Amino acid sequence: MKKYLTITTAVVAVGLLAAGCSDPTAGGGGAGGEPAAWPAQDTDLDGTTLTIWAAQNSNTVPEAVVAGFEELTGAEVEVVTIPDPYEQGIQTKVATGDMPDLAFWQPTASMLTALNAPTNLQPLDGAPWVDSYSDGLADITGSLDGTQYAALITSPAVEGVYYNKEVFAEHGIAEIPTDWNTFLEVARALKAEGQTPFYEMGEDLWATQWWIHVLLADAAKDGLWERVNTGEEKFTDPTILGAIETYESLIDEGLFNEDIKTATFEDQGDALLAGDAAMVVQVTSFFGQLQAKADSAELDEKIGFFPISPSGNVGTFIPDQSNALVAFKTGDADREAAARQLLTYWLGDGYADFVADRDTISLQDGVPTPDSVPQALLDVHASLGESVGSMQVLAVANPDMYISLADMVQGTMTPEEVAQETQDQFAQLARAQGVEGF
Amino acid sequence: MPPARPSASRRRTVRPTTYRHRASHPARYLIPAFAVLGVFFFVPTIFNFVYALTDWSSFKSEIGFVGLRNLEDLVSSGTLLTSLRITLVYAVLVAVFQNLFGLLLALLLERDTRINRFARVMFFIPVVMSALAVGYVFQAILKPDGAANSILGVVLGQEVTIPWLGDTTWTLVVVALIHSWKWMGLSMLIYLAGLKTISEDVLEAARLDGASSWTAFRDIRFPLLAPALTFNVATALLGSMNGFDIAQATTGGGPARTTELLNIFIFRTFGQGLFAQATTMSLVLFVVVVALALPVIRTLRKREEVL
Repeated sequence: MKKYLTITTAVVAVGLLAAGCSDPTAGGGGAGGEPAAWPAQDTDLDGTTLTIWAAQNSNTVPEAVVAGFEELTGAEVEVVTIPDPYEQGIQTKVATGDMPDLAFWQPTASMLTALNAPTNLQPLDGAPWVDSYSDGLADITGSLDGTQYAALITSPAVEGVYYNKEVFAEHGIAEIPTDWNTFLEVARALKAEGQTPFYEMGEDLWATQWWIHVLLADAAKDGLWERVNTGEEKFTDPTILGAIETYESLIDEGLFNEDIKTATFEDQGDALLAGDAAMVVQVTSFFGQLQAKADSAELDEKIGFFPISPSGNVGTFIPDQSNALVAFKTGDADREAAARQLLTYWLGDGYADFVADRDTISLQDGVPTPDSVPQALLDVHASLGESVGSMQVLAVANPDMYISLADMVQGTMTPEEVAQETQDQFAQLARAQGVEGF
Repeated sequence: MPPARPSASRRRTVRPTTYRHRASHPARYLIPAFAVLGVFFFVPTIFNFVYALTDWSSFKSEIGFVGLRNLEDLVSSGTLLTSLRITLVYAVLVAVFQNLFGLLLALLLERDTRINRFARVMFFIPVVMSALAVGYVFQAILKPDGAANSILGVVLGQEVTIPWLGDTTWTLVVVALIHSWKWMGLSMLIYLAGLKTISEDVLEAARLDGASSWTAFRDIRFPLLAPALTFNVATALLGSMNGFDIAQATTGGGPARTTELLNIFIFRTFGQGLFAQATTMSLVLFVVVVALALPVIRTLRKREEVL
């Protein structure tokens, strides 16, 4: 009897082992070639519940659209906030087979790869809203290997300098810096007069990488990331390591806030608004944070934006998760169609309401940008044409450079160690993706 | 390990009565239990070994065999060793604090008065609370502008802004204290049970011989608590080696990854889509826990032998 039992157990174990030894998220993949049907925006969806995953800084974005859609179709839409670190949380959930109908997602190739887009995401090719985009915006981002997976809803973020106009005026700075040297001159002049020039959020980690991206903008135009992608150039080589060293030297010089190690994203917004700091290198979502704290008139009066790079005013563009949505292959055909319907509505009849509610720049010629959109945002959008892609946009993998940089801010890592760790991780991710040369 | 003697002897000298008795419960009745055990314990453990040798990731659907490459990568990068060191320090701190607090509470609340019974319940409540909730509550209390600093400020009469969770050296100790605070109620309960088993005669004899209460504790009660100590130290040490929730909720591994326990590192790696690497790390953790558990438990068991 005992022997039978052993055999049975062994057979069961081996059987399970064999059955289980494939990616649990690997779906049927049969829907590859056939074009998706695009339901009309007002198709009745009574009894359908859709889930949207959003981050802490994007969970209010869908409010107006969701309300409009629920009223139009009878569907129920639930917006679920996934705590930060958002991308990591989602990747973990998706890997274990848990997926929403829609989610905010950074529409860059590296991040679409990270979600295994061909397996997990609905292709959005031939979507009804594509033709409504203003010139050049339809294919700016959101595709992977020629297939569109993400729907861009707002103007992609640009990394640059947000500054307090009142502080600039108070210290007699009339000209906006035109390159890195004048930028640092302004900062040093402010410091000499007892004003904190820059504000960084060491505690919340993620903004630390913007300084490096901005410092690498010219090199990026020069094909830096293509070279990094093939292993020809490394993070430890002079270009990127130099940028990291420059960032550290600026901190050592005392150009940043004193509480750089413990300051948070929220503190950063408060500090710039209050004029405690003159400048912040940030992305567009930072402006969203400011909008939560002040109205447009005040922001127009106080806050300005200019792009910066070593050689001039080149911005670094980085679409973030609040700019786009992806639709998941949940396996439930009705809900998948409903998700596409919601996107169609979002970028269709609902778009004008959405743009008005969010006070944001319209991506469609047919929908006017509200007059109330603060000037700084218009400046950001205007700099988009000239800007160059960030690491996330141009590199094949997205290592956690910001974590190592934050460690450097805390004083526990040297620039060399940051570069080495980032390079190791980049190679590891690139190899996992099957990139040649790693 | 239970002694294997009974089954061996049974095979040789089976007595009919025993045999009939056994036969009334056929071994196949064990199949459901083994199936559950297999699906939920054996298979995942085996997978932990299997996936560690593959290149399973979120980037593609195929899974290929890569041998020991993941392990080589991990050993060559310093992050694993750093995390492992942090985890070990954390585990030792938790084991010390949790047992110290638990033992003190047990001694304090030993007598069965009404107040003591109430206090025991109060100290046990954190044990049944969600660890994440505990973590978030302490995170709020220990913020630079949180309750802890406000209270200190009132007591000292000046503004206090100590970043309790922002120090690269001491935050690990703070998190270990929170972990111990949550679990000290359990240690207390086990020590209380241990104290109850000590015969009153022995203590009375000690008193008659003129032993002070400290001597009685040091030479009689504490040695007799050995089984409780074994259990408490082993569970605290090994439980905190697998710690994640409290550290994640209070610091998320920060500042500067000085509280990044191995499980947080694993979580982060998994989140990047490097599933195989994350699996390899959890395998390393498994091996370390086993390597630590055996000598610790053996040493503590040795203490019990004199009883």
